Amino acid sequence: MSASTSEPIELAAPMPVVTLRSAEFRKGREAAWRDLEALIARVEGKGVAGLTADEMQRLPTLYRTAISSLSVARAIALDRNLILYLEALALRAYFIVYGPRAGFAETLWVFLKRGFPTAARSHLGAIGVAFLAILAGTAVGFALAVGDESWLTLLTPDGLAGGRSAASTAAQLRDGEIFAPWQGFVASFVVFANALFRNNATVAILCFALGVAGGAPTFVLLFYQGLIFGAFVALHYNRGLLVDFLGWVSIHGVTEFGALILCGAGGLAIAAAIVTPDRFTRVENLSREGRQAAALAGGGVLMLFVAGLIEGGFRQLVASTPGRFAFAAATALAWGLYFAYAGREARRGE
Amino acid sequence: MASRLDRINRFLEGVRREKREIVTPEGVALEIELANRGERALAFILDLFFWTMAILFLGLVFGLLLAEKINGAVAVTLVLFAAFLLRNFYFIHFELTTQGATPGKRIVGLKVIDAAGGPLTPSAVVARNLTREVETFLPLSLFFSLEAGGGGWLTRAAYLVWLALVSALPFFNRDRRRAGDFIGGTLVIAAPKRALLADLGAQRTTYAFTRPQLDAYGAFELQVLEELLRRPRTAESETVLAQVCERVCRKIGWQGAAPRADAREFLNAFYVAERAHLEHEQLFGRYRADKSSTPGAN
Repeated sequence: MSASTSEPIELAAPMPVVTLRSAEFRKGREAAWRDLEALIARVEGKGVAGLTADEMQRLPTLYRTAISSLSVARAIALDRNLILYLEALALRAYFIVYGPRAGFAETLWVFLKRGFPTAARSHLGAIGVAFLAILAGTAVGFALAVGDESWLTLLTPDGLAGGRSAASTAAQLRDGEIFAPWQGFVASFVVFANALFRNNATVAILCFALGVAGGAPTFVLLFYQGLIFGAFVALHYNRGLLVDFLGWVSIHGVTEFGALILCGAGGLAIAAAIVTPDRFTRVENLSREGRQAAALAGGGVLMLFVAGLIEGGFRQLVASTPGRFAFAAATALAWGLYFAYAGREARRGE
Repeated sequence: MASRLDRINRFLEGVRREKREIVTPEGVALEIELANRGERALAFILDLFFWTMAILFLGLVFGLLLAEKINGAVAVTLVLFAAFLLRNFYFIHFELTTQGATPGKRIVGLKVIDAAGGPLTPSAVVARNLTREVETFLPLSLFFSLEAGGGGWLTRAAYLVWLALVSALPFFNRDRRRAGDFIGGTLVIAAPKRALLADLGAQRTTYAFTRPQLDAYGAFELQVLEELLRRPRTAESETVLAQVCERVCRKIGWQGAAPRADAREFLNAFYVAERAHLEHEQLFGRYRADKSSTPGAN
């Protein structure tokens, strides 16, 4: 009522019938919006691959039309349905135009070619710390178990010991473990490699994820893996099997420990991002660092898959200690070259 | 702008959505709605269901193809390994190829986006899904493997506590992010589809209104009226329209023939006239938010 009392009623003449500006505006552009909407629906269903070359070219133009229509509609229109429609349309189109273009295979290839080795090269410090944690664990485990072998049973979870304990004799270890007969393809590659892979992957992913807890748990877990390894080294050392055991371990151990170190380094990098956020907020810094750290861990899991294959299969196929050392040296060289050089040229070319 | 429209949602439906804003490279700010926690849980359960179906199917195929060649233990290991690969790649593959939406998310109408509004990079997708392994699948599989092999209740409780803590994380931050969203730098939003309905302004009528009459209302009332007019014709909505019509007539001091017979037609005419008036005023910098605000104050 306040509006009608402010002006005398007799001054007001009936308003002429006006055409709505916003309705005219809609009429001129609606065809383009509908076109865009149809394209978006197809991309959301089948991916970008579902579009023809011509439609691919039309998409960015239509997107810009929708974005500018939205700006205009916000300024001139009061049609709620129209504005909400344009908001939703522009948003959906935005995600498609600026969304990820690569498929799974391409992502994996780029990751192996560039992402993974680059992430490793830029985290040398964390990798060094993770390596030292395992090394320190190994030293302590060795020192403990070399004098008192009951430490071995104490340190090792049941599933991993595989019947090896302080009671094992040198002959048992040599024939049943280090030079155990080849068990056939399926049993070795599929079952055993699989069990090892799942176990190792669990430990490695834990190393990475516990980085969120500030790094100490990651450090402890790495140290613990070293402890177990050191205890086993002591067991074999006491029976004069040190060289044979190292050969038996190194054939896959180079890859496996490498993977563990990388996952651990990923965890430590996350911890560093949270503890020392520098000039960013902790959350910002976590997402900046987190992707690189996750690249380390993801690559580490892939490496574990390779290690599982080597451990389950090749280890018993190569039945001589010098041969195993040679194989281990070859894997070490291959990984070293990969991490040192892969992806460097591509970066220079960009 | 959209916060103005949001006010109408709250008024009419009592729905309140958490909003964030991203700015496109063209410099236009787009509103995004955070996904509800319930919606996210539903999407995850759907994905889990699809994944289980795929695993069962794979198990069946292995069982039929290889039943005579390999023993049961090998088959079980193969299926377990396939399950491991599948659940890791299911999420990554779909979030990469269908614009940040797994089938479960697509059904519920959710999308993964970069928290800063930039492009969703493959590394972000890998990061957020690798973390899911630790958040959910690892404790779950450990819990169930304990069930089979036996284990202390303390260990078992620890896995459940871990699971509960991780699932509670979205309740303790304002962006409703889970651990993987923090590490990948992502957000999960609701991306509803909206249909463009016929323009109410297209209808021609015989009613005419004076400027003081049209000055009685602002954009808020106009858009509430639009919502009411767009509701499907039922006995209930017609009653509401009749009541609204009566109040509008009283408010603007309508002198002419009482439009009791067809409230809808009268209100539609009033809507068109009011919208033309308010849009005209808005064009001259006198946007009026609602009936109690002064023009141009915004």
